[in-house]
Amino acid sequence: MDMTEFDDVPGADVPLDASDVALLARVAELDDRLDPAPHGLAERALFAMTLAGLEAEVMELQVVETPVGSVRSDAPVETRTITFTHERLTVMIALSAGAAAGTVRIDGWMAPAEALEIVLRRPDEERATLSDEDGRFVLEDVPRGPASLLVHQGETPVTTPVIEL
Amino acid sequence: MGAGTGERGRRDAALGSSGPPESATTGSGSITHTTRGAMTRPAETSSLGDRAAVAVIEYREGRPGAMTDFVREASPLLWRTVRSQGVSREAADDVVQQTWAALVRHVDSISEPKATLKWLLVTARRAAWEAVRKDRTDDMRRTGLPDDDAETATTLPDPAPGPEAELLRNERDRTLWAALRELPERCQELLRLVSLADRPDYRSISAAIGMPIGSIGATRGRCLAKLRTVLTERGETSWT
Repeated sequence: MDMTEFDDVPGADVPLDASDVALLARVAELDDRLDPAPHGLAERALFAMTLAGLEAEVMELQVVETPVGSVRSDAPVETRTITFTHERLTVMIALSAGAAAGTVRIDGWMAPAEALEIVLRRPDEERATLSDEDGRFVLEDVPRGPASLLVHQGETPVTTPVIEL
Repeated sequence: MGAGTGERGRRDAALGSSGPPESATTGSGSITHTTRGAMTRPAETSSLGDRAAVAVIEYREGRPGAMTDFVREASPLLWRTVRSQGVSREAADDVVQQTWAALVRHVDSISEPKATLKWLLVTARRAAWEAVRKDRTDDMRRTGLPDDDAETATTLPDPAPGPEAELLRNERDRTLWAALRELPERCQELLRLVSLADRPDYRSISAAIGMPIGSIGATRGRCLAKLRTVLTERGETSWT
């Protein structure tokens, strides 16, 4: 970046004082109000780190661009459909309220359709299921919170980012 | 990569398991606390960069507590870094996750733990550019005729969610927001990031975003001086 345009900014060499610190605090406060970090971001990151430490190698699926708020916990669970994709595999999941209170039902479809082992990973639980030959799978009564799906396809497992159920 | 996967797995398993969840009880308030904390923590002697170094060293030794704390403290800074590159809120969540996951994968190859903060910022920015590039490629694929849509394809995502006007509560806020946006993008980014860190971190932050502006920690620095000049031009006489 060409910084020469700033060379003659008055006061650039003045030591940082209390009002500078206060101005920076205003910048932080304004940013936090206009664009706050999402609820649970650090907890999802911690779980992603735990998973990264467990896996030798995975292929990470990308979330296909969806309307704002539909993937994370901002939206009512009933309305959420999330698509993950990678050149090798596309996974779509629909979330709905589970039979037990506070839980989520996950209906999934995979393309290409194949019977594969799918592992739902949560901070305190792993649960495996199998997709049918049409690539469909169901996970019932999943507690809310951070979760990731791992699909055993080929030599390198495929995983989704950590999402908030 | 140094140590075996098994060893990493064992020590990672405890990440996040100690202490209260970031926001389970206090909602977004805890994030506000984190973002303001750097400025309102007079008793704090170490910097974010120091705590990053301690977190990495202890994590390698199988003690993940400091790393867990550091992830909670520094995630808002990574969020701001990624968002400053024009990544959508949705994709930014994943980029921040990827950055932390990359730290775990590379933790044994970080030869200078003191440089961890800079490493994180550089990694987050690169991953953010990749996400933006991929997004644009997808957009062009969808629109088919990129030339017709050149403007939308190159427009950065809205930097803020929702209507800004409602969130900018008063004239002072509006003046500051407008003044910030008059600065060059990298100046805006620098000020946003240093506003979330500690004074000793300013140098590594400016280095991480490629602005060789000397010691912003010792002097006000051009970006902050410029912001104050713009604010004065806009008629704000008191900055606090």
